[in-house]
Amino acid sequence: MEIDLLFKIAAIGILVAVLHQVLVRAGREEQAMMTTLTGLVIVLAMVVREISELFNTVKTLFNL
Amino acid sequence: MDITQIIAFSFIATFIVILLKQYKPEYAMIAMIAAGIFILLFVINKLSSVIVLLEELTDKIGINKEFFVILLKITGIAYIVEFASNICKDAGESAIASKVELAGKIVIVTLSIPIFSTLIRTMSEII
Repeated sequence: MEIDLLFKIAAIGILVAVLHQVLVRAGREEQAMMTTLTGLVIVLAMVVREISELFNTVKTLFNL
Repeated sequence: MDITQIIAFSFIATFIVILLKQYKPEYAMIAMIAAGIFILLFVINKLSSVIVLLEELTDKIGINKEFFVILLKITGIAYIVEFASNICKDAGESAIASKVELAGKIVIVTLSIPIFSTLIRTMSEII
């Protein structure tokens, strides 16, 4: 399960990079910026869930 | 989750981070955080048995429980602070990393004040 998330992040990153280049070449810088931002938000949403899970485990473990 | 899987996982993760660094550095950082979290999640569950053992030991020796709880808190905080500051350093932001470490130290010192006070009280009783 964990490794898939890492592959997903890598895939989205490369996809957004390619999209960015294509859009920039096509002369649409704003759309390129938008795709990069949306890709970033998607990836961040996925990682935030994992971060909260880690912090909860640490909290319960060390009864912080 | 034995150690070989963790090592394989970390190689794959570093490969992905390096790959992403050329195209989109911000995704590389997110991949770094995700990899760090997974490796921590793999091993953190093993710690609980150690903590249970330590708890039994403190009960046997008769040290009062409150110090043990504080010690546990301090190790937990140190653990997370080190995790966060290393990730900030990898991303190239050593200033933020040192701020996180400073904050961690301050929290640990404030947490350990009761221990100091009891130490001083026992010392004064002896003298």
